[in-house]
Amino acid sequence: MQNKSKDRIITDNLALLYREAASHYGDLPAFAVRQKALEWQPVSFRELYEQGMNLATGLIDLGVMQKEHVGLFSDNRFEWILTDYAVQFCGAADVPRGRDVSDAELLYIIEHAGIQVCFVETEKLATRLLRLRSRLPKLREIIVMDPSAPNLKGTIRLEDVYMKGRDLRKAGDREAENRIAAIRPDDLFTLIYTSGTTGTPKGVMLTHDNMMSQIRNLPGRHGPNDRILSVLPIWHVFERVIEMYTISFGGCTYYSSIHTLSDDMKNVEPTFMASAPRLWEKVHEKILLGVRRSHPVRQILFHIAYFLAKQYKVSEYFITNKQIKLKPTPLWKRAVLTPFHVIRWLIVLPWYGFFNAAVLERVRLGAGGSLAATISGGGALPAHIDKFFNYVGIPVLEGYGLTETSPVVSVRSKLNLVLGTVGPPIRETEVRIICLNSGKTLYPDPADPAGGIGKTGEIWVRGPQVMKGYYRDEPLTRAAMEDGWFRTGDLGMITHNDCLKIVGRSKSTIVLSSGENVEPEPLEMKLRQSRYIDQCMVVGQDQKFLGVLVVPELSAFRKNGTQPKDLAELSSLPETKTIIQKEIRQLISSSAGFKKYEQIRDFRILPKPFVVDEELTNLFKIKRHVVTDKYKQVIAELFPNSTSK
Amino acid sequence: MEFPSQLLYAQDQVLLALMIFIIMLGMGSSLTVDDFRAVARSPRGVLVGFLSQFGLMPLIAVSLSIVLNLHPAFAIALILIGTLPGGTTSNMFTYFSRGSVALSISMTTASTVMALFMMPIILSVYTVRFTSQLSADMRAAGAETDFVIPTGNIISSLVLVLVPVILGMILKRKSPGWAKTAEDTAGFMAVLVILYLMMTAFVRHGKLFLVTPVEVYIATIGLGLAGFFFGYWFSRLIGMYPLFQRAISLETGIQNGPVSFAIILLSFNEPVQSQMLWLAILYSTFIVMTSSIITLYFRKKGKFDWDTYKNIQIHNRLFGTEYVTRYPKGFLPKRLVKDPSQGTVPAAKKAYSVSDS
Repeated sequence: MQNKSKDRIITDNLALLYREAASHYGDLPAFAVRQKALEWQPVSFRELYEQGMNLATGLIDLGVMQKEHVGLFSDNRFEWILTDYAVQFCGAADVPRGRDVSDAELLYIIEHAGIQVCFVETEKLATRLLRLRSRLPKLREIIVMDPSAPNLKGTIRLEDVYMKGRDLRKAGDREAENRIAAIRPDDLFTLIYTSGTTGTPKGVMLTHDNMMSQIRNLPGRHGPNDRILSVLPIWHVFERVIEMYTISFGGCTYYSSIHTLSDDMKNVEPTFMASAPRLWEKVHEKILLGVRRSHPVRQILFHIAYFLAKQYKVSEYFITNKQIKLKPTPLWKRAVLTPFHVIRWLIVLPWYGFFNAAVLERVRLGAGGSLAATISGGGALPAHIDKFFNYVGIPVLEGYGLTETSPVVSVRSKLNLVLGTVGPPIRETEVRIICLNSGKTLYPDPADPAGGIGKTGEIWVRGPQVMKGYYRDEPLTRAAMEDGWFRTGDLGMITHNDCLKIVGRSKSTIVLSSGENVEPEPLEMKLRQSRYIDQCMVVGQDQKFLGVLVVPELSAFRKNGTQPKDLAELSSLPETKTIIQKEIRQLISSSAGFKKYEQIRDFRILPKPFVVDEELTNLFKIKRHVVTDKYKQVIAELFPNSTSK
Repeated sequence: MEFPSQLLYAQDQVLLALMIFIIMLGMGSSLTVDDFRAVARSPRGVLVGFLSQFGLMPLIAVSLSIVLNLHPAFAIALILIGTLPGGTTSNMFTYFSRGSVALSISMTTASTVMALFMMPIILSVYTVRFTSQLSADMRAAGAETDFVIPTGNIISSLVLVLVPVILGMILKRKSPGWAKTAEDTAGFMAVLVILYLMMTAFVRHGKLFLVTPVEVYIATIGLGLAGFFFGYWFSRLIGMYPLFQRAISLETGIQNGPVSFAIILLSFNEPVQSQMLWLAILYSTFIVMTSSIITLYFRKKGKFDWDTYKNIQIHNRLFGTEYVTRYPKGFLPKRLVKDPSQGTVPAAKKAYSVSDS
């Protein structure tokens, strides 16, 4: 039923994983929760298992059934993982979401998922849910997780459920064991609601099989000496898979937070962690600030060190075939360049060695100094950040995936560290590149001389990590999946190093570097309400804020008094700019109901309109990737502080 | 063999003196009074280091000189280097080889002080054979005096070298920022000056590399390597944990090169000075390369015990000093089962010895 692979426990389901981890890793710490900077509370694998069984027994006593969906609205905290243990031991699935869930989302998710028992983190969230309760007839129990929260009428405290379960287990209740035995690999372990393009959240059904395949297939070797710092929200499947993986190899997860991150990095000295691009941008800024504030001699030393590291690494990547290859390198070119790189590498080596030891090591110590690798996911890592960390010797391994693929599709490993890509697909995973226009398979394509390498299209994924489907949404599931293949909606290509490179999104959702998802269509619709704006496209993928490309309405300006003869002339007039700016501010304002991250900070006026067959489809929908490509320069000007890939 | 005299010009000597000053200042900047107290706290490690540095290393140097039949001037220089205290370089290499930096610093500190007494004694005992040989040569060449090891001068040069170390320690107390800079600059300076000396020697005395007997190359490379080897196995024999083995190994092989320059320049005269200096330059160059390679090897070999040690350290830092990390059966290799913290955590030692019995 279970076996131990070289470094990790592999079982049929999460409940068994938790049990095996307890018997195998016993007293080692599984999780640690921060009390103060240098005071953390550990809980061992065995304790966690026993506590989870107690809570599970309490939940079963409350009436939680096998395969039931249990709500779990909380940010990262010890009680989160305890609840997850308990829910899995009940044979149920949790429906997680962060503390910042909106009322509308609460209503929708609880109703749609059929949640009867719901965990909420804080008193505040409990109060909000109690107010909505009249509209949720099926909701039976609200369990408050925070031990310091007062006893609210209409809720139960997690502690009380736990105590009840503990007493029952003491008296010989072994129902949880039966539940675990009844779990099928195809059962859900979680139901995650993502904010989809259509506006209403979609319930992604992930099975035990999905999760176990990730644990089985993630590259790398880890063990009980690994320390993982947790900062990303646990209800994101990315952070979750890392924590489950950590349990499987006996490492300890330390719950940190964004505010305490840089302290915790130094104190915990993590060896591994899941991270998002925004996090690395912050660390990058902090390192550079530290350099700028340091002694002038040290500044010079840092710049010399970075320069040498860059020379050294670039040559190393070339020699080991790890520079990104979008086109095949002709043999003669390699033959000519290889000696150059070998010589440069040899010349730089001793100097790099010295500066690496004396200067760059101190930079690495800022991140704890023990980081063997970190996986970055949840958005594209800006190229300059990617390079910076890999040059200074903090290997940032970028990965790619979606909630629907639980999530890892591909990830760079240390042996496959090709900057600019998201690495090769992980084991048991197939990737196809599909032409957006014709629907033909571009990769793999035996008819193509390069096998389809280097061609851009939509990424399709097939493998054991692909979700079971969208909960209670058969049409949407059918639209997204075909014959086991999941259409990611992202554009990509396979490089000549057999790595996946993400080019853009065919779906229109814009993911800001903060991780916020923005649907551009509603914003554009609103903007087009202006009589001065004919067409527009909101941009800002992987950026800190949104921008917009605007095609002005010529006639409106003519009526206004100015007499430009065409768009090109109009776009050069200063008053055009002032008017458009005023329009954007008025239309996309918080008083008009737009969130802060949806505000448009900057814009550019285009000299030509979008036309059918070029930037527009037959149905006048914008082909976003075409516009993005055509106005690459203009968009780059909008976001001068970041060199996006 | 015709060996060029006047290896260094006056300006080189000034440069060299400046380098020695900066390096020793940098060494002082990395030391605190607490490092001296640490010596008292870990007497066993320091004692093993002491035996290894002042017992093994000079013996290796003498043996090499005899076996390779080195010219007396080279032999004396080699033995001189063999009796030198450790420098800060060894601390840096120990850090990267995942050894105990605390022990490395303690050993450097202790040996630097001990050298004041040990160096003259060891030198006078071990160099007899070669000084008499030199004296015979000199008499044959018409000189009227015997060659004697200038013990007094050596001690005073050592004291002189310690002045910038103390200045560095004061600097660290007064301005830690500047001290950090001094520490960094020192390492960089050392590399630059040694390279400069090699280059100028090459330009001025192009044949120097050719007239240098091959035994000298073997001796200068072999001294460091043998130091690493015997230091490593000697401490293993005594029963030290791997963490400390690596520190002792590097501390034994890596000697304080700049101190040897100072002693040679201040205490010896031609005709032997240039030869001695050249050997010291060669040793200083090769030791950086061999240490780098050994460090890479140690780093890889010591990964597991280091990771375990580190994990326990962090558990004790975050979960309290009484916390004991209990690894599953079969996870730890035999050597670490009794105490995976390698003696660094009192609680771990107690708990493991109890649970084992």
